[in-house]
Amino acid sequence: MIHPKTLQERKHVWRDEFLLIISLIVFVGVVYALDSALKPVFTTSTLLLTGVFLALVPAAIWLVFFYMQDRVEPEPKHYVLGVFGLGALLAAAVGVPLVENVFRVSHWIYADALTTILGGILVVGFVQEFLKYAAVRYSIYHSAEFDEPTDGVIYATAAGLGYATVLNIQFVVSNGGVDLGAGVIRMAVVALAQASFSGITGYFLGRAKFESEQIWWMPLGITLAAVANGLFNWLRGRVVQSGGISLTGASANPWLGLALAAVVALGTTGAVLWLVRRNLRSVQMTK
Amino acid sequence: MTTHQKTVSLGDRYAETTVVIVTVIALLAGWFYKSSVENRSVAFESDGVSAALPAGWLRSEAEGDLIRTTDRTSAGFPTTYAISKLAVAADVTPARAASFQTHDRSQQLTGFRVLNQQTVLVNGQEAYQVSYVFVESDPNLTQADIPSVVLGMDYTLVTDGQAITVSYWADEHEFEPGLNRFNRFLSSVKF
Repeated sequence: MIHPKTLQERKHVWRDEFLLIISLIVFVGVVYALDSALKPVFTTSTLLLTGVFLALVPAAIWLVFFYMQDRVEPEPKHYVLGVFGLGALLAAAVGVPLVENVFRVSHWIYADALTTILGGILVVGFVQEFLKYAAVRYSIYHSAEFDEPTDGVIYATAAGLGYATVLNIQFVVSNGGVDLGAGVIRMAVVALAQASFSGITGYFLGRAKFESEQIWWMPLGITLAAVANGLFNWLRGRVVQSGGISLTGASANPWLGLALAAVVALGTTGAVLWLVRRNLRSVQMTK
Repeated sequence: MTTHQKTVSLGDRYAETTVVIVTVIALLAGWFYKSSVENRSVAFESDGVSAALPAGWLRSEAEGDLIRTTDRTSAGFPTTYAISKLAVAADVTPARAASFQTHDRSQQLTGFRVLNQQTVLVNGQEAYQVSYVFVESDPNLTQADIPSVVLGMDYTLVTDGQAITVSYWADEHEFEPGLNRFNRFLSSVKF
């Protein structure tokens, strides 16, 4: 059974997702062009600060779109920001230490393709997707503000972008700053990927709250998101390194990684949108 | 924003628990898979010494070593295992043989300091363990990297006039986490 008030589709949510994808590509292009044209010289500290600033941009873009368009039935902005912060906090306090220090994935995950895929799903995927799920499930989920299935996508995306922000800041800090061109591409890829896989979890969360789903429903959602996460990371590695190895060393093309992330984000968002619409239609037909 | 009556379904009630269970199962499977990958080894045998080298590590035969194998994925100084063999007089003890090795290291390594040394048993055989530290710097003067502090550990065993030294070198932050794996490697050394 589904509550009558949930029979609406908030089109701006999907518009926000698509605008995020397009804006991130534009943002990357602008930073890359400025970097190539101006060739700015940074000190260590300004490079670090610039990197941290750039890491915050993807989430800021999405939040700005969300604030501008969420007018018909607005979500409390402090709740959206709170879930974003919780996603970031869980990433910094649990996710990154668990993946990097306990599982030490960088030491073994690249042993071969199968290991990259299985490690990416079982460890990286499940840790990330469970924590993003937890950021929603143990905060806003039981609140009256979570009052329609699409809210699952909204809040899970906020948690995913919080997680992505921490991953990007950690990347910047651990490298003492990043090359602006390649660095900003990586940040956009991480943000797009985390937001996309969160959308899957969010869809399952939304339906789990408002419909009588089976016991396997939510575990299936987390598992699908984790599988998508692991497969994407493996595929991105393959695509980025597809330039091959020459006498001058391995050549990598981060733009291919960004193109893949954009395609995956568009495909995932489109699939979730289609599922939500189909679900709403079937509920309306049974009424 | 609206108010609503939450529909309590079977999925609602148990989803939380099942998600936690599935995640824990996945992480346990991931942990076992990690262990299986880390325990993968390739057999090595040379000059009467055999060992199970970690699979996927780079192998080289540095001067004075029977084998040297390096983990190219480790952060900072690359984690290295080495086995060396030296002919010694029949009455030389492991402690005495280790002191030769330690003296050589103090001549060759920057900032070398012995941290601890003691007699231990390795596979039921008496061995001498020396723990030390040194600093490794890229010889390329244009490389703007801070030198690495490297922790090392040598196990020296003596048999039939041959001193076998099994060494472990790792970045100071990687040494402790990698110790169990090195101990498995040490146990695999036969001569």
